[in-house]
Amino acid sequence: MKRILEPADQAIISHALVAIAREMGAKLIRSAYSTIVREARDCSAALLDAAGRVVSQAELIPIQLGSMSLTLAPCLQIYPVDTLEPGDVLISNHPFEGGQHLPDIFVFQPVFIGDRLLGFSGTVAHHLDLGGGAPGLNNDATDVHQEGFIIPPIKFNLARDWENGLFKRIFSTNVRVPSQTVGDLEAQFAANAVGVVRLEELCAKYGFDVVTTAMEGLLEYSERRVRAALLAAPDGTYYGASYLDPIEAGQEPLRIQVAVTIAADSLTVDFDGTSSQISQNLNCPLASTVSALLSSVKMVFSGPDVPFNEGSKIPVTIKVPPGTLLNPVYPAPVRARLEAAHRVYDAMMLALSTAVPDRISATGYNTTTAICLSAFTERGYRVYIEVFGGGWGATSRHDGCDAIDSPLTNCSNTPAESLEDQYDFFRLTSYGLRPDSCGHGRTRGGLGFVREYAVLREGVQLSLYSDRFAQASPGLLGGTEGANGACEIIRGDVVIPLATRAKADLQKGDRVRISLGGGGGYGPPNERSTAAIERDFREGLILPGSLALYGYTNESAARR
Amino acid sequence: MKIEERRGIKIGVEVGGTFTDLVSVVGDEVIIRKTPSTPAQPDIGAFAVIEEAGLNLCKVTELVHGSTIATNAVLERKGARIAFVTTSGFRDLLFLQRHDRTSIYDIGYAKPQAVASREDCFEVHERILSDGTIIESLDVDDVRTCILPLLVKGGYGAVAVCLLGAFANPRHEEQLGRLISEALPDAFVALSSQINPEFREYERASTTALSAYVQPVISAYLSRFLETLSKAGFNGRFSVMQSNGGRLPAAAMRSNAITALFSGPAAGVIGATRRAALSGIDNIIALDMGGTSTDVCLVTGGKPALQSETSIDGLPVRTPIIDIVTVGAGGGSIGRIDEGGMLQVGPESAGAQPGPASYGQGGVRPTLTDAYVVLGVMRPEAFLGGTGKLDLEAARRVFEKLAEQLGTSVTRAAENVIRLAQANIVRAIQLISTERGRDPRDYTLVAYGGAGPLVASAVGQELGIDTVMIPPNPGVLSAYGLLASDIARSYGRTWRAIVGTETPAALASAVQELKDKASEDFSKFEIEGPREFFLSCDMRYVGQAFEVSVDLDPSSLDQLTGDELKQKFNEEHHRLYFHSSPEREVEVVSIRVRLTSPNRSVPPLRESPIERTSDTANVFVGDEVVAHTLRSAWEIEGTPISGPALVEGYTSTTLVPSGWTAVRDEAGNLLLRVNS
Repeated sequence: MKRILEPADQAIISHALVAIAREMGAKLIRSAYSTIVREARDCSAALLDAAGRVVSQAELIPIQLGSMSLTLAPCLQIYPVDTLEPGDVLISNHPFEGGQHLPDIFVFQPVFIGDRLLGFSGTVAHHLDLGGGAPGLNNDATDVHQEGFIIPPIKFNLARDWENGLFKRIFSTNVRVPSQTVGDLEAQFAANAVGVVRLEELCAKYGFDVVTTAMEGLLEYSERRVRAALLAAPDGTYYGASYLDPIEAGQEPLRIQVAVTIAADSLTVDFDGTSSQISQNLNCPLASTVSALLSSVKMVFSGPDVPFNEGSKIPVTIKVPPGTLLNPVYPAPVRARLEAAHRVYDAMMLALSTAVPDRISATGYNTTTAICLSAFTERGYRVYIEVFGGGWGATSRHDGCDAIDSPLTNCSNTPAESLEDQYDFFRLTSYGLRPDSCGHGRTRGGLGFVREYAVLREGVQLSLYSDRFAQASPGLLGGTEGANGACEIIRGDVVIPLATRAKADLQKGDRVRISLGGGGGYGPPNERSTAAIERDFREGLILPGSLALYGYTNESAARR
Repeated sequence: MKIEERRGIKIGVEVGGTFTDLVSVVGDEVIIRKTPSTPAQPDIGAFAVIEEAGLNLCKVTELVHGSTIATNAVLERKGARIAFVTTSGFRDLLFLQRHDRTSIYDIGYAKPQAVASREDCFEVHERILSDGTIIESLDVDDVRTCILPLLVKGGYGAVAVCLLGAFANPRHEEQLGRLISEALPDAFVALSSQINPEFREYERASTTALSAYVQPVISAYLSRFLETLSKAGFNGRFSVMQSNGGRLPAAAMRSNAITALFSGPAAGVIGATRRAALSGIDNIIALDMGGTSTDVCLVTGGKPALQSETSIDGLPVRTPIIDIVTVGAGGGSIGRIDEGGMLQVGPESAGAQPGPASYGQGGVRPTLTDAYVVLGVMRPEAFLGGTGKLDLEAARRVFEKLAEQLGTSVTRAAENVIRLAQANIVRAIQLISTERGRDPRDYTLVAYGGAGPLVASAVGQELGIDTVMIPPNPGVLSAYGLLASDIARSYGRTWRAIVGTETPAALASAVQELKDKASEDFSKFEIEGPREFFLSCDMRYVGQAFEVSVDLDPSSLDQLTGDELKQKFNEEHHRLYFHSSPEREVEVVSIRVRLTSPNRSVPPLRESPIERTSDTANVFVGDEVVAHTLRSAWEIEGTPISGPALVEGYTSTTLVPSGWTAVRDEAGNLLLRVNS
């Protein structure tokens, strides 16, 4: 018979479960070593129940939303729950065993209350370098093995087997910056331990049965919230498509095709028609596709206040044909999987723009631009990776946000003063908004930005992956498209443009300039308010050349 | 002089959002007043409450003021029109921010609005690296010919300057500051190297810009205040509360306005700390519960926890601030069932208007206050000492619908709302205690604010805390805290060193520099009396980005070894994060010195007498009616009373559950203890 909890107990334990995941996430970030975790916060933390379902998750980075259960499931197939012991750790980064890309290492720890398994605490963090064909990022990889060290689902006991153990020795020998990478992994272990302790405390107070009942109740709650939102949306099948830049100039762009069916309180998403997998690293593993899709569903239908968990997935059916860009099979390389994930989000927005035009946005720049500068120095390998967004798409009511990370990620920049402190082979020389890079409209897209680096020594390597160098973010309902992105090396008087996925040997004195594009506008520009046009013009965000689009002449602007 | 001072009148005036509170002490006599605030011009309310208390300003020796003027200037974007000047290539620092967002699933996300407009941001040619090396000298000609004319033309009230690397080498900022001051003699110039000499350029720029933004507002306000004071013949000391829990003479505040943000909650924490000290208690959790929210703060060894960074309206501010966590649970918090069928309480609040349904001003949604009215804990006949009105029927009516949705009785629905609100407060306390490696059971819960004493024992019980303290007149503890506070000023700077054997000696000399500067400032502000220094270092493992604050004894740095310094850090790190790595290198990143002139005379505070009509009150516990002993707060003296009981005061009611005993101790505090 199902237990009934007091309403306050259900609410109190639900809030506590969310708070525990948050504490784990916050502590992971604050005690981590690599900039990618500590500044960019490319990590996540969650609590899962004994069946491996995510019950609560720290809201850190959407692309890790809802996929942790997909990573834990293969671990539990190999190591069934009845073989687990307190202090065990399950660990994996395998893209074809429910993982995302190799740098994302998932770590789970079972939580035992007495001898009963309550569930798992889990964390995932993006690690700086896991070996492979180049420091930090190997764009030339044609299969997953060239991308780095693959950790299949394995189990070891933290207290017994980690320190000086087999895994730690193999692992730290196969990564280029072991101090930071091992430090980050240990920060994950510690964050998981925080989750275990807090769950033990919660059970000591309320009892195992009450807590498991509340976990179940929280899953049902999230499901109800999503179903209620879907029920309010008009039934029908809606289509959207988005494109990645072609691999080589002159080739066809890569297509992400989606058919979204809303039927009463459920949603079916079918990616049939999406391009086949390729031998470059733009393939997006199933777990990433699922996260991207669930994030867009959450953003459109449930808003920020509904705690995400496995319950929110129940009303959503996802069909992704194997062998496509969005569900690649071994041995596809997957390092730059975010680009296709962003296009899943874009295609979802476009499809839903006919169903719920006031709840979506025009297409944003929505591209991850990952730049990696590395050098082998007197102090060993030095690796710098930073990821950038651009301008967001406008919504029916708001301008898109300027110069910010993409909707599926939420990485902060690294301060110029921190970079100088950590790296002596390059320096940030400018970082500014990119005027007029937005799509124009009744509401305008967000602006992109430009960063420029000076290279300070010989022997520095650049790796880059990005998108939208060839195809901009389209506007919606009469809005115009945002500006493209670009990356250039400035060597004396010569400007060398780079492709979206590039590698280059840099010389001392080179400058590297990255230009990030803007988001699409929403609605016809001539319907924009005069006050908004004039403010943008006065602040130098819109340049004189664009005024005509808004039905404004230079003379009329100058008069004001 | 000394006798006169003792006889002189001391006044604390705290301007809150709704009420302006006054606590005045003359010898052993305590006067307490509350009047409505006058948000448009807060000083009007402040002088009104002084007048209402019948105090002659000629005889006042000490006036301490707390106001929300700085906070409101930012929240309402009513600060000065400012210019922002930075290193070439980085003009957009205030708009780029950190490239991340605080709400990650919001499709219409907007960044926090900067306090400067982009057209008012300027670049100068220069560059200093993070280690202080100048790689490009300041182009003074360009400043003179291009920048200064624009600054003059702009008519700015203040100019914020934040150059890259200035935390390590202030030379260019100082040069630029002089040039700007010559060109704009009336404008306030804020230099990042003076306001906040710490690395990470956006946070430093934001702090500097905010400082420039609020400075002219504070300055004008304090000038006006001083003028009114001197017209009234005031000849005493006028000081102002800061976010770090210390006060400063008004003259010093006029050049240090950023520290006035969030001073209100800080004063309450100081009041609670000082009251507890009188009872010999120095580990407390301060719980201030008002109409819309609850503030909690951890005080260890008599020292409130400080944090070095906070944010206002999404904009980072790096100034030492008492580490207060606010949760949306107050008397006016509304209980409701959300779309998924989950019970929620707050953060939505009925506010002052319409207020809880039981206030009879048109409130139609069930609030926490109504829940206590429904249960009989807040009694209509005793509200505001019997002078206020509470409508029990209205409270029951608004809970009937909620009870129906929950499928339970009206009183059980009310209990559920109360329990959830209490749990929200418990979670806030866990955030400042357990999550920071402190066990709440080592602390006494000190509850104040109008609603604090209602929830205190239940919140304590949830946390395993067995002693709860309620200070007398808990509704005016912030104004009291103003009078009880020390004079204090905080100093911080980035100071980098990988900890080795020589570190303590080098640290000692860097600390000495800060101490000298602090002493110089105190002399300049004519602050007399004994002085005390406090020191903490922000430290981390090499490679980490976030620091852990480690308290050190500034007087015994010469006896500290490098290994001991590392050891102290390892312990702190382990406490916070459940792990430490003694084999890793440790670095010091910043040093923070605080100079105080301690306030040795903590003023008295006591309850006001009110009438009581009965010896018992009927209170619902679940669906049962349980008779509670009824006492007035002022009449409880040495004889303990056993729960279940209600202790009614003018501004609040204390609930003593069964299994608890309440007694007023010699210091005048009400102590609630779990029966052993």
